Amino acid sequence: MNQEVNKLQELLARVKRNAALPRTIVSGRAPEPSAPRNEAPPVAFSAPKYVPPPTELTAEDMFFQSEPPPPPPAVASTPTAIPEPPVVQPRATLDDSVDELLLEDPFPSHPPPAYGEALPDPMHVSPGSPSPLDHEEDVSGVVAISEFADEQPEELLEDDIVEMTASEAASLPAVTHTLDELSFEDVDADEKRAPPSSEEEPPASSSRSKIAGTMDEALARAAEQIDLEEDREVPLKTPPPESGPQAAVAMPQGMQAPNAPDIDELLEADILPNTGVRVAVPTAEQLGQTIELDEARGPSLELDQPAAASAEPLEPEAPAEELEITLPGRKYAGDYQADLMPPPEAREDLDAHRQRQGEDSVPPPPESLAQYPSQRGEAQSSAFAPVIVPATVSTDSYSESVSTVTVDAPPNAEFAPELLARPELGPSPVAKFIRTEAPRPKTFMELLDSSLALGSD
Amino acid sequence: MSLNFDPSYALEFDFGRGQIRMANASERVVIPCDALLALCRGASEEAVRDFGRRLGTEAGRVMNDRLGEAWQASLETVLEHLGGELALMGLGSLGLERWGQALVLSFSHCPLGGAGDLLLGSVLEGAMQRSFGRDTVAIKLMRDDQKVRFLLAGHAGARKAGNWLSEGVPWGDVLSRLATRGAS
Repeated sequence: MNQEVNKLQELLARVKRNAALPRTIVSGRAPEPSAPRNEAPPVAFSAPKYVPPPTELTAEDMFFQSEPPPPPPAVASTPTAIPEPPVVQPRATLDDSVDELLLEDPFPSHPPPAYGEALPDPMHVSPGSPSPLDHEEDVSGVVAISEFADEQPEELLEDDIVEMTASEAASLPAVTHTLDELSFEDVDADEKRAPPSSEEEPPASSSRSKIAGTMDEALARAAEQIDLEEDREVPLKTPPPESGPQAAVAMPQGMQAPNAPDIDELLEADILPNTGVRVAVPTAEQLGQTIELDEARGPSLELDQPAAASAEPLEPEAPAEELEITLPGRKYAGDYQADLMPPPEAREDLDAHRQRQGEDSVPPPPESLAQYPSQRGEAQSSAFAPVIVPATVSTDSYSESVSTVTVDAPPNAEFAPELLARPELGPSPVAKFIRTEAPRPKTFMELLDSSLALGSD
Repeated sequence: MSLNFDPSYALEFDFGRGQIRMANASERVVIPCDALLALCRGASEEAVRDFGRRLGTEAGRVMNDRLGEAWQASLETVLEHLGGELALMGLGSLGLERWGQALVLSFSHCPLGGAGDLLLGSVLEGAMQRSFGRDTVAIKLMRDDQKVRFLLAGHAGARKAGNWLSEGVPWGDVLSRLATRGAS
């Protein structure tokens, strides 16, 4: 019991001591298949002999073996080969150091066997040999080696970090380089391989220059930079945004920055219109020389209605609502002026009509349908006798359906209008119908009776 | 009442006895038309009328025997059966016309001609009296080669129609007048 306590105390002390030491990543490889499962090499033509597993597997039994598994034996051509029983790691004794056990490399450093060696050709495998594990059906954690060629662990797990003792760390090549003494041999080699670009000026968007080590060196670089920029032409294009600050350089010849606009001119331009009459409009300077005129002298003038030219009033004063101009009235309503001429297109037709009527003289002007011909003053000189308003107009009719209109001509009329009326017709039957109100008799007796009744009063 | 007239075996000629019988009737005598006409011409008008009515009464009786209730018979039925009986007598083909309320009977193809019109009229009067119990007057409206029309009217109507016909009023106007006056 005391020994165990001592051992634990010693172990604790070592752990504390090792905690101060730097840790080194030993390996990031995938773990090797567990020994108990892969130790039995496939044997052709013979079923593997069943080996009962250990009665109880503890955590210590599951430690990785420090030695790599033996290479798979060559496929025997004879089925008589008997596979060796699986080797079970003997249980470590309590005397073994825990640190040694922990520091044992669970992943051997020797390279994994080639794919061809690890997985024999399935064509040569005997039917009795175990078939290669299927990835999908693999539940034992054994993964084909080919998968590790493409898939690497992205992160290092806690198990991947291996603590080392001081002695083991000493065996490793000592790290004597500091940050300042880092070797960039690869970079230098690349630069050496690249073609020499002597005296090549850095581009405008080049990276920042190196920080000068001393003040003298910085001043020297600044002077060189000024000289280079004076000789270099500034590109007209906009420098990329990633470029650093650039010094303002002089504009090339022929280019000049616009001058600042005159505020007065701008104000004046805003006040005056943008038209061509700007010349005639006084400027702002001229406005200050405006001469103000005095008030008008004499009586004040007022606008009034002009007086009538003659003393005779043309017409009595009309009321306010009759101030509008009244068109000259005509003698008769519905009449029109006699001097109106027919349209030119109707003149030919009118002349042809008059020739047919035998009227070679000047035809009378057209008369209005709303006026009797006798009421026109222009027609009084014609051959037609003037007829004034008819004296009487009577409506005589023998019946209500026939009506005649008689116009009594005036006594001075030479030609009285001739009115024709329909001849008088006496009342006479136009049609005769015999009504057969009686329905058709059903029996001969009815017809006989009705016929006997004819002519009886 | 739509019983059709069947003239089959209507006449029975008994050569052994030298007799001609009519079905459901007494013996018949077949005489020449000219002889009958000569008799009628020599007889008085009243005698001819009576002779004719007797013939009509016999026809009406036979029709009633056939029809049973002649007063319910239709126009067609009366025409068919009465015409059939008169046809068996050899008096021609009976026709019926209805002019409004006027009943007009006609004979066609009568062998007696115009001389037998009075006899034909009397036959119709006798048939109406025997069949329907009405006293009628048969007034001849018109006569042509083929047909003779008789108006069956009462005494008043027959008198008026006779006057109009004697005045030369067309028989159509007589019928219309009778219809107009009768209605007024």
